[in-house]
Amino acid sequence: MTALWRHELRIFLRQRIALPALLLMLALSAASVWAGLAEVSRQNAVIERIQPQQAEDHAAVAGHALRDRDPGNAAYYTFYATWDRPSSLAFAALGQRDVAPYLLRVRALALESQIHESENYNAELALPGRFDWAFVLTFLAPLILIVLLHDLFSAEREAGRLRLLRVMAHDRRGWWLRRIALRAGLLLAALIVPVVIGGLIGGAGLAILGLVGIAALYIGFWVLLCLLVSRFKLGSIANAATLAATWLVLTLVLPALALLLINAAVPVRQGVELTLAQREAVHGGWDKTKQETLQAFLNHYPQYRDTRPVEGGFHWKWYYAFQHLGDLSVAEQAAAYRSGLEARDAWTRRLAIVLPPLATQVTIHRLAETDLAAQLAYQDRIRTYHRQLREFYYPYIFDERPFGPEEFKAAPRWSE
Amino acid sequence: MKRAMTSPDSAQPLILVDQVSLDRGNRRVLDQVSLTVAAGEIYALLGGNGAGKSTTLSALLGFLRPASGALEVAGIDPVSQHDQACARIAYLPENVALYDQLTACENIAYFMALAGAEPDRASMDRALDAAGLQVEARDRRVSGFSKGMRQKVAIAMAVLRDVPVLLLDEPTSGLDPRATADFNALLARLKARGTAILMVTHDLLGAADCADRIGFLASGRIVEEVRPADGIDVLALHHRYGEAAAA
Repeated sequence: MTALWRHELRIFLRQRIALPALLLMLALSAASVWAGLAEVSRQNAVIERIQPQQAEDHAAVAGHALRDRDPGNAAYYTFYATWDRPSSLAFAALGQRDVAPYLLRVRALALESQIHESENYNAELALPGRFDWAFVLTFLAPLILIVLLHDLFSAEREAGRLRLLRVMAHDRRGWWLRRIALRAGLLLAALIVPVVIGGLIGGAGLAILGLVGIAALYIGFWVLLCLLVSRFKLGSIANAATLAATWLVLTLVLPALALLLINAAVPVRQGVELTLAQREAVHGGWDKTKQETLQAFLNHYPQYRDTRPVEGGFHWKWYYAFQHLGDLSVAEQAAAYRSGLEARDAWTRRLAIVLPPLATQVTIHRLAETDLAAQLAYQDRIRTYHRQLREFYYPYIFDERPFGPEEFKAAPRWSE
Repeated sequence: MKRAMTSPDSAQPLILVDQVSLDRGNRRVLDQVSLTVAAGEIYALLGGNGAGKSTTLSALLGFLRPASGALEVAGIDPVSQHDQACARIAYLPENVALYDQLTACENIAYFMALAGAEPDRASMDRALDAAGLQVEARDRRVSGFSKGMRQKVAIAMAVLRDVPVLLLDEPTSGLDPRATADFNALLARLKARGTAILMVTHDLLGAADCADRIGFLASGRIVEEVRPADGIDVLALHHRYGEAAAA
């Protein structure tokens, strides 16, 4: 039995295409893992760097904005850092982390524009997509598998060995299974060894087994497809062409069509439109009477109903009131935007049931916490934190409590 | 209809083809063919292209199911019990296709492992000696081998199999005269060991040198069966069937 595995390995590795294909798989997988680890390390470094810088920034604000002990000034000039640290598996599937911010410094002003304004400057990153391990597994590994398996049976037939093999092989089923298992197994090994090493480096622990399992299932799916095509008893070239066309349809054409259909069926306004709508509402606040603005605000925060009326020119009470009203004015649009994104995501998951490449992507990004759900969860945490910040400053602004460096230090901190 | 001539040990034929008819599409390619080959007997089946020689071999290898009639290899139906029958058959195809990336010995070791055997190097060398493959060629990759050298590797495998039935498809077509003579000598040794040998060939004169019986196949029927040992005029037969066989 062992001898047969040894013989099969020798036959396989001495094929002209086998070793280059396996080395290419290993190189692509290693490169994607390396790139992923580098990106995750860079993001972690940025997150680490932001904290001392944040302290410096706050010290500067304390020195400048607190000279007149005005909480409105402090709230206006102080940025509070929030961050979404990458998970231990994020290196394998960077997902939304390049197009959605993983670090956002917020102020106690209107929030929606702060959340969505990053869509202005990194949209181009969304075009080429990330070269990560999930990409290598979903798109490139099937191609290399096709190279290795397309002529599994047909090459024997075309070389004239099939008859002799059929006469000689005691256990023909075992022979084919051994041959398939060896090729697919070596490819899988070339694919997963780098990601397992990456997982060890990234501290993923046993969670890496999830990625290994998904990779095995996905490669298994393509092995079955190769076997299915081989049952048609076509020539090697026809097998390769059929499998390449299947790859094209399953990994590119159908997901792209599905995306178009989903986008058409579930229209979602761009986040940047939300930003503009909110800014217009906020800027409109300057043209409204202070009384009207404050009254609308106090409807939501009745605890400040007894606040001293605002008279004369600019006042922070009025300013923070219309900032918050700006958020409220687009609350419905923000909810619609979010539910639209969630509806699209739900449709994508439904389609994933029949499109294994999509299912692979969706599952890996979920495991790596780099999908839309993770992005929205981060936004939820930002919203909660932003509310804590606002509500920290409101008593000092609306009740006109004394505000000094000690109070400034007591502002809520972002917790991971 | 011509019945098969009885073999020396007709009570226990190791190869039995009894009234076999076989169709491919709408065409009948074997029509009531009968032959037997006993242990220690060489049967040569001659015929022109399309006469049904290779089809007979394919049926005995269990690759084709007859429309009627019975087939047996060492008492086993090769169609319904393909694996058991193949375990008793050594087969030498006309064009021996080996793994070009392996050496002669590695090819033998692989195919023998598939058959459930693990011959050591000494026994492989003995088999290759018997087949006549030069010592210096044995550890070379077979990609540079001639047809004859490949055939010798396959013959060595057949020798190593040590099975009761040997099926040969044009075994001497790639061999030079000296190698043909060596091959015939090897067949004689296998015959002496009790192997039942069925060979399909175009070469009547060659067959007459080694076969105990010769069957002439035309249009899917065995039209005549002769024993060279009976002093028949092989040259006359050659004129009668050889030209048709060569066509």
